[in-house]
This record gives sequence, structure tokens and C-alpha cells, in this order.
Amino acid sequence: MDIDLVGESLKFMVLGMAIVFAFLFVLVQIVKLQALIINKYFPEKAPEAAQPSADVAQEAHHVAAIVAAITEFRKQS
Amino acid sequence: MKLKYLLLSLLFVFTLFGNVAVANEHEGATAFKTQKELIAQEKATYKAKSVTGLIESFFQTTGLNAIVNPVKGLKNAHGIEISTFAQSWGRVIMFIIIFILFYLAIAKGFEPLLLLPIAFGGLLANIPVADMAAPGHMLGIIYDMGIRNEFFPLLIFMGVGAMTDFGPLLANPKTALLGGAAQFGIFGSLVGAAALSQYTGIVDFTLKQCSAISIIGGADGPTSIFIASALAPEMLGAIAVAAYSYMALVPVIQPPIMRALTTKQERQIVMKTSRKVNKIEKLIFPLVVIMMIALVLPDAAPLMGSFAFGNFAKESGVVDRLSNEMQNSLINIVTIFLGFGVGMTLQADKFLVAESLGIMIIGLLAFAAGTAAGVLMAKVMNKFSKEPINPLIGAAGVSAVPMAARVASKVGSEEKPGNILLMHAMGPNVAGVIGSAVAAGVLLSIFK
Repeated sequence: MDIDLVGESLKFMVLGMAIVFAFLFVLVQIVKLQALIINKYFPEKAPEAAQPSADVAQEAHHVAAIVAAITEFRKQS
Repeated sequence: MKLKYLLLSLLFVFTLFGNVAVANEHEGATAFKTQKELIAQEKATYKAKSVTGLIESFFQTTGLNAIVNPVKGLKNAHGIEISTFAQSWGRVIMFIIIFILFYLAIAKGFEPLLLLPIAFGGLLANIPVADMAAPGHMLGIIYDMGIRNEFFPLLIFMGVGAMTDFGPLLANPKTALLGGAAQFGIFGSLVGAAALSQYTGIVDFTLKQCSAISIIGGADGPTSIFIASALAPEMLGAIAVAAYSYMALVPVIQPPIMRALTTKQERQIVMKTSRKVNKIEKLIFPLVVIMMIALVLPDAAPLMGSFAFGNFAKESGVVDRLSNEMQNSLINIVTIFLGFGVGMTLQADKFLVAESLGIMIIGLLAFAAGTAAGVLMAKVMNKFSKEPINPLIGAAGVSAVPMAARVASKVGSEEKPGNILLMHAMGPNVAGVIGSAVAAGVLLSIFK
């Protein structure tokens, strides 16, 4: 065996983890920035927002009910 | 669990036999022909035959004969010699393994959408004489059409993109880092595979093969197949089977690790309800990702490109017809082809080798390492974050969407009924898909 497999793979690990983290870190920063900008300049329109918010509240109730049912079911089974 | 051990021990026993057979195969290499050519040669000149002669020559064409009387030095369609063991007992063992896969898919619900076509493809590929896996034959055509050139996984990724909702990730972006930590499963097992190959004599992997195996830790089927066909196509079958079986076993593998690494108080942490995400944010997100890939890691562009396209089409809201097509018909059709193409690599001479066992072990290690790294990272983040973070959601950083997120949520609500972590766990979960695609891109870029 000419190459030190473990040594090489350790180097790959350093490079790979560094790039994965750097990529996701930058992505997180961009997403935060974009959230700031978009919510400042393009907030979801008020009349539209009012209507869906009621829906969302109702939906949340539904979700809560469904989730409760599932938990109950899981407990039984 | 018992079944898994059974499967592993079966594999182990037969890999031993496999090696013996490989050792013997050089004894007499006489006929260098595929089974079909062999029979064709015998039938080329037709002579008058008696009834017994007819029956005899018919028997020559049966699969039973091919299994009972393996021919030494027989070659497969790619000109590689098949050992007599792979021709006879190897096929029988593969049929048994395939029936076990059927059982797991149907009775145990192990990712049936993929395991079933993969196993059936394997069944067809192991039929003697028919040579269905040869180029130009049914399975061979499918393989050349989309597996060899890494095309099918990309189409699947398009559908996955169209099904993914990045809302939870956008609502709490820093959980994306958990999806990064879980990629330690890939790189940790890369070192593991290298060590296994360097310090023990059981297997002899090259660096490329180690990388292809380690991608199982990404817990992402299409990515695994994509990388395996690029770096180590000879191991595709074992890698795909390992990836999909372990993805199905996520609810078994993960919870013990999650419990071992966290305290009861940590598991009971309730997380704040996430904010509502603006539609424009969701629309722009796939573009942000693909631009970053374009600038930093073009090697991941095929994977992330099709993923981002699927997601963009869905979030745009104006091409529902296309997005629905990707989510349903397209992904279903491709799944059938992908399954058959991958199944083709489950031929006895390719699958029944010690390497397959190594792949199974390292795959399991990779899943465990990824889960552990995600949970530990979440613990650290919880220490430093203003808002509490339940460490359980770190386990969802291994992609396996949405299974891993569901498992995190389930363990959480077992500890504290009514504590629903699902939406919080979806954040690291979808980030894990991006993370493993990035990791895949890094591995590809190394070997360019």
C-alpha cells in the first residue's frame, strides 16, 4: 500500500467538515439577512395577512387536535 | 433486529465461501464465453435428433442445468470470469437474500418503494442463461440509461426538491448547522472504512471506494447512488441496499443513541413556536442555494441544481402542473427504473464478496456517528443559544427526510407528552439534505 489510507481520509474529513460547516454557516447568514430585508420591504400584505392568520389559527387548532390524537394513538399501540 | 443479524450472518458465512470459490476459479479456465454463446454454439449446426436427444438438449438450456453444472471459466457480459461458486450456490444464496429483502419490504415496511424494485431487479439479474443484466438486455438497458451516467438519482432529487418545504429551516436558520454536524457520519465512516482496510486484512478498499461507502452516512438514497456510480460502480448494489435498509432502520438505530447522549431534562426542553415564513423567502431560498453552489462547489451542481429546480417550481406557485408531475409521476417512474438498475448490481459474482459485509458494517457505523454528532452539536448549541434547543432535533440532521425528524419528535413526546418537535426537527432534516449534497460535492471534487 503506497498511500496512508487513514492519513488521507483524516485530511478529507478536515476538508469536508470545514466546507460543509462553512457552506451552511454562510447560508444561515444569508437567510437571516434575506429575512430581514424581505420582511422590511415586502411584508405580506395586511388584508391578505389578516385573512390567512385566522386560517392559520384555525389550522393550528386542527394540527393540535390531530397531534393530540396521534400521541394518544401511539400510547395505546 | 433479529432479522438484521440473520442477514448479516448469512452474508458473512457466504462471503467466506465466496472467497474460497474465488481462490479456486483459476484452476481451469477453458471456455471463455457467456452462457448464451455457449448454448448458441452447440445449436449452431442443427442435426436430426431423437426424442431423448431433444429432451437432453432442452435440459442444456434450462437454468437448473446452469445452476447444477456450473461451467469453469464462464465469462459474464463484461468479459469478467464468473466463479463456479457464483454460478451455482451464489445464485441460490442471492435468491435467498432477495426473498429476505422482499420480506423486509412487505412485512416489515422497510422503504418498500425502493427495496421492492431493487430486490426484484436483483432476482431478474440472477436468473441464469437469460443474462438480463448484459448490455442491450432489459436490465442492462436500464442501467446504461440512467445509473451508469448518474442520471436517475438526479431526477429523484428533482422530485424530492418539489416535495421539500424549507419553511421550518427558514423560520429558525441556525438549526441548519445541526444538518452540518450530522455529516460527520460521512467523514467519520470514511476514516473508519480506511482504517478497516488498512489495519485488517478482511477488505481492501481504495480511497475512492471508501468515499463511496462513507456517503451512506449521508442517509440519502439518491446521493448515495449518485456518488457510488461515480466513484465505485462495482459496489453500487451493496451501497444502495445498505443505505436504504439503514434508512428504514432509522427508528431502531437512532433512539438508543439519542437517549444515551442526552439527559432527561434536555429531552424535555420545549422549543418556542417558530415564526411564520414569508412566501418570498421560500421562493428566493432555492436560488440562494444554487448560487452558492455555483460559486463555491460546482461539483455538487447536478445534485443541488435538480433539487433547487424542484423546490423553485413548487414555491413559484405558477407551475403547479410541473411541480405535481415531479412529485408524483416522474419520481414514481424513475423509482421503478432506479430500483431495477440498482438491483442489477445484486448479481452473485458482484455482491457475494467480503466487501459487501464491510459496507454493511461501515454503513451502520456511519448512521450512528451522524446521529451522535448531530445530538452533541445540538447540546453545544443549547448551551450557547438564547432560545432553548432540544438536543433531540440534532439527530434529525442525518437527511432521511422525513423519517429522522419524525423519530426525533416521537422520542421527544415520549419524554414529555404534548411536546411536539416535528417542525423544529424538519429544519435540521432538510439542512441535512443540503449538507450531504455538499459533502458529496467535496468528495467528487477531491477525485477529479
